[in-house]
Amino acid sequence: MAKKNRFASFVAHGLKWLVLGSLLFVALFPIVWLFVNSFRSNLELQITSFALPERWLVENYQKALQMASLPRLFLNSATASGFAVLLNVLVSSLAGFVLSREVFKGRDLLYTVITAGVLIPIIAFMVPYFSLISRLGLYDTLLALVLVYAAVNIPVSMFLITSFMRSIPKELEEAAIIDGCGFAQRYTKIIFPLSQSGLVTAGTFCFIYSWNDFIMAMLLTTGLKSRTIQLGIRFFTSQFITDYTAMFAAIILTMIPSVVAYMFLHNRIISGLTAGAVKG
Amino acid sequence: MRALFLAPVLILFGGFFVYPFLFTLYASLTRWSGIGAMRFIGLGNYVRLFKDATFLLAMKNNIIWALSHGFIQVPLAALVAMILLRKPKGWRFLRTAYFLPNVISTVALTMVWSSLYNVQFGLINEFITKVMGRAPVNFLGNPDYALGAVIFQAVIYIGYFMIIILAAGMNIPKELYEAAEIDGASTLQQERFVTLPMLRGTFVTAITLAMAYGVRHFESTYLMTGGGPAYATTTMGIDLFLKMDALRYAEASAVGVILILSGTGLIVLLRRVFGKSDPMSEMAQ
Repeated sequence: MAKKNRFASFVAHGLKWLVLGSLLFVALFPIVWLFVNSFRSNLELQITSFALPERWLVENYQKALQMASLPRLFLNSATASGFAVLLNVLVSSLAGFVLSREVFKGRDLLYTVITAGVLIPIIAFMVPYFSLISRLGLYDTLLALVLVYAAVNIPVSMFLITSFMRSIPKELEEAAIIDGCGFAQRYTKIIFPLSQSGLVTAGTFCFIYSWNDFIMAMLLTTGLKSRTIQLGIRFFTSQFITDYTAMFAAIILTMIPSVVAYMFLHNRIISGLTAGAVKG
Repeated sequence: MRALFLAPVLILFGGFFVYPFLFTLYASLTRWSGIGAMRFIGLGNYVRLFKDATFLLAMKNNIIWALSHGFIQVPLAALVAMILLRKPKGWRFLRTAYFLPNVISTVALTMVWSSLYNVQFGLINEFITKVMGRAPVNFLGNPDYALGAVIFQAVIYIGYFMIIILAAGMNIPKELYEAAEIDGASTLQQERFVTLPMLRGTFVTAITLAMAYGVRHFESTYLMTGGGPAYATTTMGIDLFLKMDALRYAEASAVGVILILSGTGLIVLLRRVFGKSDPMSEMAQ
């Protein structure tokens, strides 16, 4: 009997790790494969695409940086996502303050309508976005991307920031009002500083979306002056046609900002996600 | 003052959600090539869409996507979540690792997957030819395999649903498991009679979300196959983009309207069918 139980638990353990391992393999192996191959030579890649490098070639990274105007693409992406995050967090915190700390007619309806924006498949808006941005004279500018990235993330940011601000105790504000704080000062002195954690979560979501975006950049830009890194690596294939492993190195470089953001902030990202979905 | 604080969000939300919605709705009822004035024609674009073989194929593929998201991805995610709920060694690390592909750009990941699927030098074909000794398969170039190949690639995104289910599972009161154990329930029985019923509401949420994502699927397929070969992998999003590219703006807008209606409509419908019944909230009352 005891023997049978031990056998059963052995099988259960084996099955458990088989499930965990195989799904983890599908999710992560391609990234590991890319990383390893970014250090190999093209000759090695031709012989077999699955082996460790004979010598770890850091030169691939130097080649990548030189060949594809990569620094320019990085700068463009950093500018677009950086300003998008600032704009998004600033406007969402202003509106979140009003929606969480003030009482007025239609407040809950407004909140519901704005946060319901997450239900909209943004790709359905390709025609109006293109038409609006063109008519504003912003086609092929980074400003167009800043506006779109900041706007598209408003429903998520408003949800995260407003619910965070709601959790700040009323007493703090009441004390400030007695001390003579006006409407704007309640925001600048109390609510904004106290909701930093919520603002960082919202900003992280906005940053990862903006840095990784391909669709809007493809739709709204065309030239090198406003080309983002994602659009850039998409068109690497023609530049790199003979140098695959340098291209792999370039792709690894483009992953760094969002992966680093995730490494430092994964707890916030995970709790932000669950707050949205579990309530949803 | 309140109005001043609300204004920036209202302008951005108005400009990039409300206006585009109304614009799309109106443009879908006109004849319009993107340049010049729109001419109102009524429902003509919709009539044409439902006779358009490419659009119908896109819709069919979206249904397959929605089903595979809801009934392959979510169950796999649920399986992983239920294992991690037992907090095996390293579960926190595993939770972070499973979610990682969700923060990496689709462009980067699809470039890797296209390389893996490549018929000449792809790793998967290297395995097929060298280890199994069979002829190589052109996964993304053969209409028989392409849809399956792009759907399989999407399994890398299960981490998102896993996190939702895991978070809900951690809220299940420990006492329920203790009581079940006293009653002599095995681990599997505890999963069957405690975890599964307690997570029913979360499963409905996850499946609903997953299916809605299936309806709006665009990016990874567009990047790997462009909707081909011979439209075998096209979706409504890709169809919209290709129609726009061909200056058929009004028809593209009609696709947009159907995309919005089916995406959000699905969420409302599934909520109605399955109900919001969630044992957790019932218990709280």
